[in-house]
Amino acid sequence: MVDDKLLGLVLLCIPLSLVSFGGGQTIVASLQHQTVDVLQLLSGPQFTDLYAISRAAPGPGTLIVALIGWEVSGLWGAILATLAIFIPSSVLLCILGSYWQRHRRSAWAMAAEKGLAPVAVGLIFAGVFTVAQSARFTPLELATSLGAGAVLLTTKTGAYPVLAVVGVGYFLLSLAGMA
Amino acid sequence: MDKPVGDIGMEKEQTVTSLALLASFLRLGASSFGGGMAGWTHREIVERRAWLTDEEFLKTLTVAQIMPGANPVNLAVYIGLKLRGIAGACIALFGMVLPAFAVILVMSVTYQQLRSHPEAQAVLRGLACVGIASSLTMGIKTARRLNAHALPILIALSVFLMVGVLHWSLVAVVAATIPVSVAATFWIEREKSRG
Repeated sequence: MVDDKLLGLVLLCIPLSLVSFGGGQTIVASLQHQTVDVLQLLSGPQFTDLYAISRAAPGPGTLIVALIGWEVSGLWGAILATLAIFIPSSVLLCILGSYWQRHRRSAWAMAAEKGLAPVAVGLIFAGVFTVAQSARFTPLELATSLGAGAVLLTTKTGAYPVLAVVGVGYFLLSLAGMA
Repeated sequence: MDKPVGDIGMEKEQTVTSLALLASFLRLGASSFGGGMAGWTHREIVERRAWLTDEEFLKTLTVAQIMPGANPVNLAVYIGLKLRGIAGACIALFGMVLPAFAVILVMSVTYQQLRSHPEAQAVLRGLACVGIASSLTMGIKTARRLNAHALPILIALSVFLMVGVLHWSLVAVVAATIPVSVAATFWIEREKSRG
């Protein structure tokens, strides 16, 4: 039931769970590098596909590990990867949560709240860079990314309308033989 | 494991049953399309069920955001813990994740069926573009809120280089940089308050 590949994935997820500040986007760089280059559970294009699906799916982005788990060993893979990514952080929360709540007005606690942000920013950009690099975008895809980014950054449009428009657009382009 | 609700120090009229807790978090988990989860959780837990007061909810939210883990899931787990102890935390985690997990499974199966079709590949490429764009946007928005000071910017840049370019262990980099970043923030805030 648990083979070496799945074990590798679970052992990857447990420590990542404990540093997944803000959710999935901060750990994507490591997930990509480890599952594709180090553990070789997935090919580069496969990871990009799963990344795309996870960004279009409901729920936390961390659930990308369920998709990876499914690819690696089906239903059990999906279940174990999901448990491995949610349980360690939840246990830590239950242990430290009330301590944190009592001391949250202290200068150190406030510094900790603000001090996580620079690290998170670095991790998010590392994730974007890693995925974009392995996706090997065509000029059209690069333009799509930048256009979508501009829309998301400057308007109040949510990600779903943009996903729908681009998804339908690429479907039509592919029917026309252009993408 | 099942501590009575009174132990938490709240004098609640009704007891929170496991079933009600599960129903609430399944409902929240099922509505987790497209974010805004803190708002939905507030509506369910504070307004509809009256299990927590506004102030209790806000304290809970701060803790959920600061700790590692997906924020909506953390919020659910911590509320579950406060209302019904460890059992409550487990119920909340289960209820919150199950609906999204089920959708992910359906998507996995669909992907396996369709991935050899060129049209499906094209659509996935398009979705990947938007996914990256939305992560990039999130990074830019978070970066804008950093202290306008060389230190946090330098820390963000070095984390990016170590993890994104050099592929150093993410866990080790985070463990090493968070104390530095927190100390730097502490110092910057103190300088600020001194004027």
